[in-house]
Amino acid sequence: MMTDDWYVYAAILLLALCSVLTRSGYLLFGHLMPLPERVRSALRFAPLAALTAIIVPELLPWHAQYGPVLDLKLVAAAVAVWVFTRTRNALLLIISGMIALWLMRWIISF
Amino acid sequence: MLLSDPSNFSNLSSHELRAERLSALRQGYRAVLPGLLALIVWGVVTGVAMVKSGLTEQTATVMSLLVYAGSAQLTALPLILSDAPLWLIFTAGLIVNLRFVIFGAALHPYFKNMAWPKRLALGYLSVDVAFVVFMPRFSDDPKKGTVEQHWFYAGALMSSWLAWQVSSLTGIALGAIVPTTWSLDFAAVLALIAMMMPLVSNRPILVSILVAAFVAWITQPWPLRLGLIAAVVAGSVAGMWAEKVFRKVRT
Repeated sequence: MMTDDWYVYAAILLLALCSVLTRSGYLLFGHLMPLPERVRSALRFAPLAALTAIIVPELLPWHAQYGPVLDLKLVAAAVAVWVFTRTRNALLLIISGMIALWLMRWIISF
Repeated sequence: MLLSDPSNFSNLSSHELRAERLSALRQGYRAVLPGLLALIVWGVVTGVAMVKSGLTEQTATVMSLLVYAGSAQLTALPLILSDAPLWLIFTAGLIVNLRFVIFGAALHPYFKNMAWPKRLALGYLSVDVAFVVFMPRFSDDPKKGTVEQHWFYAGALMSSWLAWQVSSLTGIALGAIVPTTWSLDFAAVLALIAMMMPLVSNRPILVSILVAAFVAWITQPWPLRLGLIAAVVAGSVAGMWAEKVFRKVRT
């Protein structure tokens, strides 16, 4: 499935604008906008909450008719997180998660 | 272009200045080296994921060069594929990039004496690994905005940019070769998790993430992936609430 090119390029330009606004914004106009403490503390949580909200539907998708379904990816992600808590190594997290997913798919295919 | 300023050649003190700049540039580059490994893996994964999830190699290349923000790119991919409205993609990109506003607030004292085009450029090129090596090194410096600080940061940023673009373009090339059945798009999800894990450093953050995860899970039937916004609001409110509660418990 390939979406319209203009739509993708528009999305890319908007994302580039996001990069400029969030990264340069404060350096350019920081003297004009001191951040109140409440905003500052809310900003600390928002990025991780957003990343979580992106990841969850990939791991625990809803089927249009049957509602929530259990996906092998959730198990693979759990293995990967466990490996990370042991090793504190981001590369091992990615590798172990991929291997866990491949292994489980291979076992199920019998 | 960054290194030479021909008008200064005759002058001895500016000679010393050039040496100081160059040495700071090198120190910045060296300090960021360990972080570049993570950046390179992340870049390859993002490159592969962009192509595997349906972008053409051309759009993926443009995206990598212009956006230069792995998490925002990976966040946008499922949204683009589900034909989400552009305003939602923009909003999601802003939210995922919010941490850079915090970086900006922390960096501001060091760079406020610079001309605005330089601030614009340094800001746009700012990435996590450079920020992470810059702050601990200079946070105790009584003088902010020195030549050493500026060029150290520039050195860290330039090598980060190069490492990212080379690895990302490599990933895009690989993405065309690797078969879809390998599910390498899942590696992008794992990379996002890998990025989150070291940041889950206290209980309020954990509460915030659990609440955001629950809301993101139950709001999936919502149209346009609007559950994303609900999860961010719920997660942020929960995090602030948990911070208050845990602080009370401690005192």
